Amino acid sequence: MTVARKAAAALVAAGMAGSALAAARGPAAEGGFYTAQQASDGSALYAERCAACHGPALEGTWEIPALTGKFVANWAGRPVGDLKAYVARAMPQFAPGSLAPDETDRIVAYLLSANGWPSGATPLGSGATLDRRLPAPGPRGMAAAAAAKPGEL
Amino acid sequence: MREAGPGDFSRAGRRAVLRGAGSFAAMAGLQACAPGGGGVASAGSPPSATGRPPSLVPLRATLDQLIDVKCCIRPLRAAGPNLGTEVIGDTLIVHNYGHGGSGWSLSWGSAEIAVGKALSVLPEEIAVVGCGIIGLTSAVVAQRAGLKVTIYARELIQRTRSFRASGSFTPDSRVALAEPAGPQFGDTWERMARLSWKAFRTYLGLPGNPVEFVDSYALSDKPIEKRHWPADPAITGSFATAGAPQQNSEFAHYNERIKDIMPQAVDIPAAENPFPVAYAQRQSAMHFNFASYGHTLLSEFFERGGHFVNRDFHSRAELAALPQKVVIHATGYAARDLWGDRTIIPVRGQTGWLVPQHEANYGVRYRNVSLLSKGDGVVVMNNNPDIGEMLGVGNSLELPDRSAIEEGLAIIAPVLRVRGA
Repeated sequence: MTVARKAAAALVAAGMAGSALAAARGPAAEGGFYTAQQASDGSALYAERCAACHGPALEGTWEIPALTGKFVANWAGRPVGDLKAYVARAMPQFAPGSLAPDETDRIVAYLLSANGWPSGATPLGSGATLDRRLPAPGPRGMAAAAAAKPGEL
Repeated sequence: MREAGPGDFSRAGRRAVLRGAGSFAAMAGLQACAPGGGGVASAGSPPSATGRPPSLVPLRATLDQLIDVKCCIRPLRAAGPNLGTEVIGDTLIVHNYGHGGSGWSLSWGSAEIAVGKALSVLPEEIAVVGCGIIGLTSAVVAQRAGLKVTIYARELIQRTRSFRASGSFTPDSRVALAEPAGPQFGDTWERMARLSWKAFRTYLGLPGNPVEFVDSYALSDKPIEKRHWPADPAITGSFATAGAPQQNSEFAHYNERIKDIMPQAVDIPAAENPFPVAYAQRQSAMHFNFASYGHTLLSEFFERGGHFVNRDFHSRAELAALPQKVVIHATGYAARDLWGDRTIIPVRGQTGWLVPQHEANYGVRYRNVSLLSKGDGVVVMNNNPDIGEMLGVGNSLELPDRSAIEEGLAIIAPVLRVRGA
């Protein structure tokens, strides 16, 4: 299953209007936040390091936050670096700080991908890529992100 | 940035005459967010001499009754809860977090302190960040003082860690470490515990029994003795060197201060012991029924015009950017990350829940295992008493382990066949 299909599956599983978000995502847009390879690698890492608590489809539980839906509302408008810093610092909860920096990048890439934020040619992780704010969800926000050059958002 | 310590508060001054030889260790079996055990209490006053066992409906502790296993992390803060204040930009932050396994039990007294500090700058309106038992109680106390309150939180109380406690009045359960807390904290603790006790009593007998008392029976094959935790000289590390407690003797205990109001354990003579076990004690204990209590408190909050905003915070600056310029910060364990408070030590606990058995309205403790009949189920805990308060210390894995509960049910089931049932 491709990353895009996984992302769409996760969105559908979460009961979101996933198709619009996924469709608005450019396959390799300059305005992307991570590379498809990072997201693909991140999917495997997520399964290994995160899924035990957050669930195989990011669905969460009554007690543990889902990484879809409210997650998008929580992080939209913030610099992607904030999300990375939080994951690096606080996750996984039973061993916070135990993810290597490149592992964190890949897991964050997977989470962004699964929630419809666009991929691109520039890998997540370097300084400028972390300063960009995650656009609001919805076709317009995502399309703007996909069309933008790095640094524009 | 200033953090006012608990010593900032005046002495409660009512404790001196309250010292005695009794123990609340039996309560350890019922501590908020699951206990570390710790043995059972020594006898206090003589029991009523009826000469025959009370008529009890047996508790059903069978696997088919198990409907939930909940796990949570207590926010043990070495120096006791953070009740200090700090100013960020133009915003007064009043902390109210880090109550260990005593958040429910101290909630009203702790809210009284926090809201008092908030009122001292004469706001008309405040924000409360966090909607666990501390945040929600703080919000209601602030409303009762006439303030307009907005709660900002990830969840309403029903999905917070507070609802994954065991929900008993255990006000000194992993609430502080003796040395970092210092001698002054005892006075603040006592003030919070006494005020909370009075507040909880105002909920007794209300529809749905948000707060109630039941008898709990401690059962043993051997005579029941008070458990002590002397310092083990072989353990040289401590919180000071390791950043987390290394043995039971480091934990602070204060329940002796309020033994004049808390019911003590009493020995039950053999003729009055309804259980098929040689030794038994009975103790009345207060507990909170989550469903009813949460509903009651939330109803008051909304009836008084409270607003709830669903949001998450990731930095201190975000609290200071709220429109309300007085903010009560009550995020519990989450303060470890949000406020970077590394003195919060995770202490894992878990509870199993059986189908409610309202007709068997009591608790039982035997070996590692305790049962307590509550409004929303019979809570089951399986905690090795030899580990005491150290159980779960440093463990932030918040996934339930059903097998421990199943094991516990198998241990306690044989002693539940009460005489005359």
